[in-house]
Amino acid sequence: MKEIRFRLLLVLGFIALSVYLLIPTYKDYRNNQIVTKQLSTLEDSLKKSNPDLSAIQIKEFINNKRDSILSNNPDYRAAREKRVKLGLDLQGGMYLVMEVNTAKLLEKLAKDPDDQFNEILKEAEAESKISDENVVSILARKMSEKGIRLSRYFGSIREDDDKIISRLLEQEADAVTRAIEIIRNRVDQYGVSEPNIQKQGSRRIVIELPGIAREEEAKRLLQGRALLEFRLVKDADIAIPIMKRIDEVLAASLRGDTISLDTTKTAKADTAKQQNLTEEQFAKEHPFFAIARLIDPQGRIPDAFVKETDRQKLNAYLERPEVKKVIPDNIEFLYDARPEKGPDGANYYRLYILNKNPELTGGVIVDAQSNIDPTTSAPIVTMQMNSEGAREWARITGSNIGKRCAIVLDGVVYSAPVIQNKIPSGNSQISGIPNLDEAKLLEIVLKAGALPAPVDIIEQRSVGPSLGQDSIKQGSNSVLFGYLLVALFMAFYYKKAGTIADLGLIVTVLLILGVLAGFQATLTLPGIAGIVLTMGMAVDANVIIYERIREELATGKTDRAAVDAGFKHSFSAIFDSNITTFFTGIILYQFGSGPVQGFALTLMIGIITSLFSALVLVRMIFDYMLSKGYKINVG
Amino acid sequence: MSKRTTFYVVSSAILLIGLLNILFRGLQFGIDFKGGTEVAIQFEKPIDIAKIRNEIDKIGLGNVEVKTFGGSTGILLRTELQELPSNVIPKVKSRIETIIANTLPGVNKKIIDSTQNSITYNFPDNQSAEIINNKLFEAGFQTVKVSEEQSNTAIIVRLGISDWIKENLAEKFKDNPFNVLKEDKVGPKVGKELKTDAVIAVMLSLIVILIYLGFRFKFTFALGAVIALFHDILITLGLFAVLYGVIPGLNLEITVSVVAAFLTLVGYSINDTVIVFDRVREQMKLHKSLSLEENMNRAINKTMSRTLITGFTTILTIIILLIFGGEVLRGFAFALFIGMITGTYSSIFVASAFVLEVANRTNRKIEF
Repeated sequence: MKEIRFRLLLVLGFIALSVYLLIPTYKDYRNNQIVTKQLSTLEDSLKKSNPDLSAIQIKEFINNKRDSILSNNPDYRAAREKRVKLGLDLQGGMYLVMEVNTAKLLEKLAKDPDDQFNEILKEAEAESKISDENVVSILARKMSEKGIRLSRYFGSIREDDDKIISRLLEQEADAVTRAIEIIRNRVDQYGVSEPNIQKQGSRRIVIELPGIAREEEAKRLLQGRALLEFRLVKDADIAIPIMKRIDEVLAASLRGDTISLDTTKTAKADTAKQQNLTEEQFAKEHPFFAIARLIDPQGRIPDAFVKETDRQKLNAYLERPEVKKVIPDNIEFLYDARPEKGPDGANYYRLYILNKNPELTGGVIVDAQSNIDPTTSAPIVTMQMNSEGAREWARITGSNIGKRCAIVLDGVVYSAPVIQNKIPSGNSQISGIPNLDEAKLLEIVLKAGALPAPVDIIEQRSVGPSLGQDSIKQGSNSVLFGYLLVALFMAFYYKKAGTIADLGLIVTVLLILGVLAGFQATLTLPGIAGIVLTMGMAVDANVIIYERIREELATGKTDRAAVDAGFKHSFSAIFDSNITTFFTGIILYQFGSGPVQGFALTLMIGIITSLFSALVLVRMIFDYMLSKGYKINVG
Repeated sequence: MSKRTTFYVVSSAILLIGLLNILFRGLQFGIDFKGGTEVAIQFEKPIDIAKIRNEIDKIGLGNVEVKTFGGSTGILLRTELQELPSNVIPKVKSRIETIIANTLPGVNKKIIDSTQNSITYNFPDNQSAEIINNKLFEAGFQTVKVSEEQSNTAIIVRLGISDWIKENLAEKFKDNPFNVLKEDKVGPKVGKELKTDAVIAVMLSLIVILIYLGFRFKFTFALGAVIALFHDILITLGLFAVLYGVIPGLNLEITVSVVAAFLTLVGYSINDTVIVFDRVREQMKLHKSLSLEENMNRAINKTMSRTLITGFTTILTIIILLIFGGEVLRGFAFALFIGMITGTYSSIFVASAFVLEVANRTNRKIEF
């Protein structure tokens, strides 16, 4: 026992860790079953009570409901975040590759473009569609072939072509960053769970949206222009009464609701009351203010903080018909773009009450720049407007001094500075930004509203949820049958030793899944294939060792000597062969996209874990058996 | 080893058949590499594929491939087009307008925007926009409201190839509703890039293996192993060309996952070869007096059972993948299936034979 103690601890430790990492996956699976059951009864009752709803509307409603249940219950969400991630091919969804349209960007950047320029640009664009070369460099090449200097259209006359090219490339990169920022913002608002947005290469954006039913809506969301608006924030003397009114209406209707519909909830609340009477009471009396906590209790500033987890609830409250009635037509509730950390460590979003109609939209912004204010050394963002915008801006700022004006992008508030004085030139600055990074982000956002480089979809793949379900089923069947066949063969061919190898195989699969969960890697259908294949290959190391042990036994060695020699002589062969496979795994991971990467990953993890099983676990069991005097039986 | 000339003939014969097929019939690439649009559809009831083929021919998209996909209820449609051809657009438009007219007769609609890819309709009120939006979506078009606000009265209808196909099938097979299982659209540039990447990846892995084995063994051995790998890849590729369209229900196109299978093959097939070489090295140290050929023979014979068993267990799991892995993995599993067989064969009959050939020709003594 002594000589294997360390290895035993190691093996048990890894197994325990894997099981621990896989618990959320199991929980998530259970949760999904529960929710699906709940929803199917809901769907039935919905069909009965509202027969005029179309199938699509019901489906949409159910899907929204599912999302809100899964994301609102903290237990469900915690499990969901830590489970083994499933690729789009397994859960259904959309995969998009978008490319920033550099040609359109260049057209916008060019000063005084003439027919000749447009013609060359068109040629360059056509050429870029079939080659890997960048539009900027194709354009530059074509220009120089025709003997035209780039400075005629871009930059100043003294600049070299090289310098202009590098600046244009920089602007292109900037446009990609901005595009990603906009897309991320929109996807977040759209409420897609677990989206994945990545930059690929110099100007491509890869977007993965699980569980999208309406592709067109999603694509429009991603490709549409960013809408930048300047909107006045309502003063406290208007906003606070509205909020109070909402609170009253809500309290009244909720009192009716809870008694008639949700008896379990009140029962729960009763037990909780014992400990925290006042807060419970407050939440009941003031359901609105319990969620949207006023920043200033005296009500001088009409902003409120809303906990991240409460947002969905508040939105639902505001959507209620009786609440909608008391909200004036011309106002709107909007959240801040970024949360602030509360004293309890949770994320809080600032909630503003704004005019529904914007004073000015972002079309007027010509440029934006993040800077450090020389006098106060605080970060600021300065922006320039065109002449028309400047005129309007002067009027707006002039008549609203002392009020706050919110900068809203795609329905999210970025900042809401107080207007200090009339701004005549159209150059204005935003202050009150916590740090330079934030300022840089705001700059990106402002520019994004003014200058979105169009993005084209160059690759699109979507997988329906039913195919995903099928794939999961087929995948797990393959894993199961694959295991059974290999295990049976090994037990049959190598008898006792084969059974030990089968045990190692189970540990291998468990470890692979554990590693996947631990590293938050994504499991894809080819990934499952990788696991199945690993089972075929994982026993290779055992086969090599056992065959060697057989040979050594045939030469008349004792059991112990044969086992030792078997492991020793097999090592270099096992090591060499697995390391070459591992190399190809790395190359596959580098070259492959999405699902193929998943395959490469499971393959590599499979190699490591199967070696661990064969060289540590199986060896340990052999050593234990030898020390106890059991017979080793290799068939 | 003495019978190696027989195997040379066998190998070269299979290789030649494969290569001739690649040359004359060409390899079939999936849309991953070619670019195009692909839609997989699952009907509720079994369908007659000939009937669908016939309907698809009529819709004016030119050459659209129709194949079965996963059993008798699924079909896979594929075209190299990525946008609707301009002569079809008026047809699509009139169909959309018929649907609108049928849903809300006499509704006042206005086209406020129209591009190659979409049309935007405006309606007098929010209610009708909502109804038509849902109706068109049910009919197979991708539609979207211009905004989610109550005041919205406009919807956008996409003019995509897949939408047009779906709409036509929904119209023609009203009694047999279907689900879209997957939909892929790949631009020509992406396809071209993927092709180069795939070739680079395979070459790179061969080079890496050559370098690694060059360090661990004599260079001739590394070369022998890589030659054996070339042999495996070319034979598998050749068989892909030979068998394309021959076995019904098996989609043998070169896709990204098939390339992944090739790379796995490269990594795996080398395993067996390395094990044989490792044994050859051990033999040569033990029996310095014996000839290289004799040592190789002994090494191969001694490792034969494990080479066969490791190959066998792997092929077991691949067969499972072929049977249970579903449509999506079939090509991938098949590539591995052929590759494993040739890989096992080549590590017994090709790799060592090459080393021996080189040693005999150059008359140099190989030792460790």
